Amino acid sequence: MLDDVTKVFPGGTVAVDGLSLEIEDGEFMILVGSSGCGKTTALRMVAGLEKPTTGTIRIGERIVNQVSARDRDVAMVFQNYALYPHMTVYRNLAYPLRQQRMPRDAIRRRVQEVAEMLSLETLMNRRPGQLSGGQRQRVAMGRALVREPAVFLLDEPLSNLDARLRVQMRAGLKRLHGRLGVTTVYVTHDQVEAMTLGDRIAVLSEGKLQQLGPPQELYDRPANVFVAGFIGSPPMNLLRGSAHDGRVNAGDLVLERAGLPDGALIVGLRPESLRPAVDGMPSIDFRVDVVEPLGDELIVHGSLPAELIATSSDTDIADGALPVANGTAVEAVARLDPRERPAEGSVIRLGIEPDDIHVFDAQTGVAIR
Amino acid sequence: MTARAEVTRGVDYRRPSLWQRIIASEHLAGWAFVAPAVILIAVFALIPIGWSLLLSFQANNLLAPGHYIGLANYRALSKDPQFRAAIGHTIVYTVIFVPVSVLAALGLAVALNRKLRGIRFYRLAVFIPLVTSTVATGIVFLWLLDPTFGLVNYALHALGLPQQGFLQDPNQALYCIVVMTVWGWLGFDVIVYLAALQGIPQDLLEASEIDGASKWATFRSVVLPLLGPATLFLVVWSTINALQLFDEIYVTTHGGPLGATTVIVYYLYQQAFQFFNAGYGAAIAYVLFVGILIITLFQLWVGRKRVYYVS
Amino acid sequence: MASTSTAAVDRLVRLDAPEKPRRRLPFSPWHLFLAPVAVIMLLPLIWMVILSLETSSEAQSFPPVVLPTGLHFHNYVTTWNSEPFGNFFLNSAIYSLTTVASNLLFCSLAGYAFARLKFWGRDVLFIVLLATLMVPFQVLLIPTFLIVKHLGLVDSVGGLIMPNLCSAFGIFMLRQFFRTLPIELEEAARIDGTSRLGILFKIVLPLSLPALATLGIIQFMWSWNDFLWPLIIIDTASHAPLQLGLATLQGAHRSHWNLVMAGTVMSQIPMIVAFLIAQRWFIRSIAFTGIKQ
Repeated sequence: MLDDVTKVFPGGTVAVDGLSLEIEDGEFMILVGSSGCGKTTALRMVAGLEKPTTGTIRIGERIVNQVSARDRDVAMVFQNYALYPHMTVYRNLAYPLRQQRMPRDAIRRRVQEVAEMLSLETLMNRRPGQLSGGQRQRVAMGRALVREPAVFLLDEPLSNLDARLRVQMRAGLKRLHGRLGVTTVYVTHDQVEAMTLGDRIAVLSEGKLQQLGPPQELYDRPANVFVAGFIGSPPMNLLRGSAHDGRVNAGDLVLERAGLPDGALIVGLRPESLRPAVDGMPSIDFRVDVVEPLGDELIVHGSLPAELIATSSDTDIADGALPVANGTAVEAVARLDPRERPAEGSVIRLGIEPDDIHVFDAQTGVAIR
Repeated sequence: MTARAEVTRGVDYRRPSLWQRIIASEHLAGWAFVAPAVILIAVFALIPIGWSLLLSFQANNLLAPGHYIGLANYRALSKDPQFRAAIGHTIVYTVIFVPVSVLAALGLAVALNRKLRGIRFYRLAVFIPLVTSTVATGIVFLWLLDPTFGLVNYALHALGLPQQGFLQDPNQALYCIVVMTVWGWLGFDVIVYLAALQGIPQDLLEASEIDGASKWATFRSVVLPLLGPATLFLVVWSTINALQLFDEIYVTTHGGPLGATTVIVYYLYQQAFQFFNAGYGAAIAYVLFVGILIITLFQLWVGRKRVYYVS
Repeated sequence: MASTSTAAVDRLVRLDAPEKPRRRLPFSPWHLFLAPVAVIMLLPLIWMVILSLETSSEAQSFPPVVLPTGLHFHNYVTTWNSEPFGNFFLNSAIYSLTTVASNLLFCSLAGYAFARLKFWGRDVLFIVLLATLMVPFQVLLIPTFLIVKHLGLVDSVGGLIMPNLCSAFGIFMLRQFFRTLPIELEEAARIDGTSRLGILFKIVLPLSLPALATLGIIQFMWSWNDFLWPLIIIDTASHAPLQLGLATLQGAHRSHWNLVMAGTVMSQIPMIVAFLIAQRWFIRSIAFTGIKQ
């Protein structure tokens, strides 16, 4: 558990700013955010590799701020695996146990167990240099598992694997966690990993926690514009809009929604919520630019007559000033049924259910119910 | 070459003359480029290597051309008590110098590989002796170790310890040479080790810490093995240099006292350039060469089995 | 030469400013080890300077005089005049600078040819040249002397320089380095019609400055501090380079330690100053010889 933890590096960079996070026993907690958001720093503080500037970190009931990494009973899988290159797989796996002065047979048994769990038996005598990326990743996991630690920390373990392996390993990880139930903290910048693996997700940006909750909650009810734009792929379309008397305008899109304060707003439309307009649906013209067929669905890039904020999460809209919209008809993304493939350059009418719209405060970016 | 052909096709293309083709040819260019180097190395390295061998089969006094005497020089060497003594001195020196300088360098490199206030100063202090010449080293230590007014004997005196003869004591002279050459060369070994230490990824050290290893265990199990290549290099390099020791001997003891510091190369110098037995000197040089080769190959062989190279 | 190695050398060379860590003691315990070591390493050099400023009798007195009665700077003048020091410096300068220039030139040409050009006998030739590095200088010593004698260059600076104009070490080093450069640049220039020589000088060498600097420094250090070869080849004092001159000084003025030390100080200062100024380059060059293995 992290309690109001702040980490400032020499040179003034605030990596983590007042982060408070409680992780349940056995939970799979994901820290997600774009590069530099502080998630890796937070993980390293839990590991004991960095010391918080202020705030406390607890593992179980113990405050561990002053406890060194080797005494914390945590295990970590590094992004680059950090396997000992001069040791065989067996010795890599056995290393943590040898440090605990375990007797040789006990070590052998435990290593065997873990090797079987991760299908590494045939590789025991090889060195990391002779292994493929996926094999190395499993050895790194094995080395962490072999200790049966209190907390399992993973720092973007899948980011160096190719796409197919990544999908496989994701499933493998989930299975493993189901089986072993170790408290896990997992850092990634990939929101798909976050959504598929986590019990709960903590979205971070610039060192601050944006939202904490189960994956579905983050998807259905993002707490602010940052989370809204981060979760979901392709990302949510965010448009400038305004509300007046129960009616919301976003460019040419007009719909009824009660209970909103009058004034400027940000309106969010998920690409998957946009579909060919049916009578009665609030709708807007969509000029098709590029069509990306994916087999089971179609990603269509185009433009809407509206003022757009951004369609990606790499602008800092977490708090404070929002960037000025660029132009009156800018890029948006929609997800459509491949059977209704529109021609490039054509204009189609897309509609959206009023309930599917997300509304955010234009000043702070915070969601408005 | 294909690119050229394609560029010229379609353009008004006259087949170049044989001469032009030769000039353009890569073979000629290659040889032209290496020519100066090859000529110089052939004249000043390859020819001397062969000539030296021939000389070793001659009696030659550097002034008049020599005459061949077959293996007489080598046979004389094998019976020469002074040569055997020289070999002994050289080996004693090497066997002490190499481990001392490599281990000291390792310890220093570990100590210097940290962020400390003034670390720049400490590092410089260790490196500077390296750029001084062997002659300067010899001269300074000649004074420092002087039995009458040297600083070291004064320090011993101040501590109530007996005065030593150092470079004038046949039993101590060689060890004094070890000390002064370690002082002069330490910086080199430290630099190599420091570079190697800093090449160890931070990840590995952190992983080891998280795996529960103490600082010492991390050093023994992770750092030391990964320093293997550097250690092997330094051992081989130091050994080769130690076996060729000369400059400091010339400046300080001239092979004395009583021949106690006559090492192989010094003996060679005496024979070839003081007594003008050039053939004998050449034979000594060849024996040294073969010795160095064998020892180096042996070290590399042992090293290959025990040192792991990270690719 | 993996890129990680070069990065490691760069890190070493940058001698980064420290973080401020928290301590129990007012200072880190490492100081207790490093400070004495630094003193021991610098002590001989410090004494060198102190002695150079003493009188002859002070330099030989027991207990040793730490603070000389006066700073006898005139020792330096005396020393300078007692041996042709001006010549020593000049000869060393010529020796070092010429060998550096010639090595850079010839090793670049050869190294480039071995790295990029295909010509008959290339690989065999390279191995042969490399093999010469295995042979210790002492084997070459006597015949090289005889060759220089035949060339009529005994006892001259030319005789000093000739055998050292090109070393296989430099060729090896530069070949390895050139091979790490992306070949596309050279191929593009070739297509544009640049001659091979032009490619070397206009494209490859400008990109190779670090390697050239390294080779230059190594060669300079070696030539400047060379002793054995000058000892063999030079008879006349005025033709001697610096280290040989220093040894001559010591031989001639054995008991005048103050003068000998003054000479030593004078002869070491250029190198030490050069080192202090160009620390990064020196350290990098030295580390390089270790890493290339």
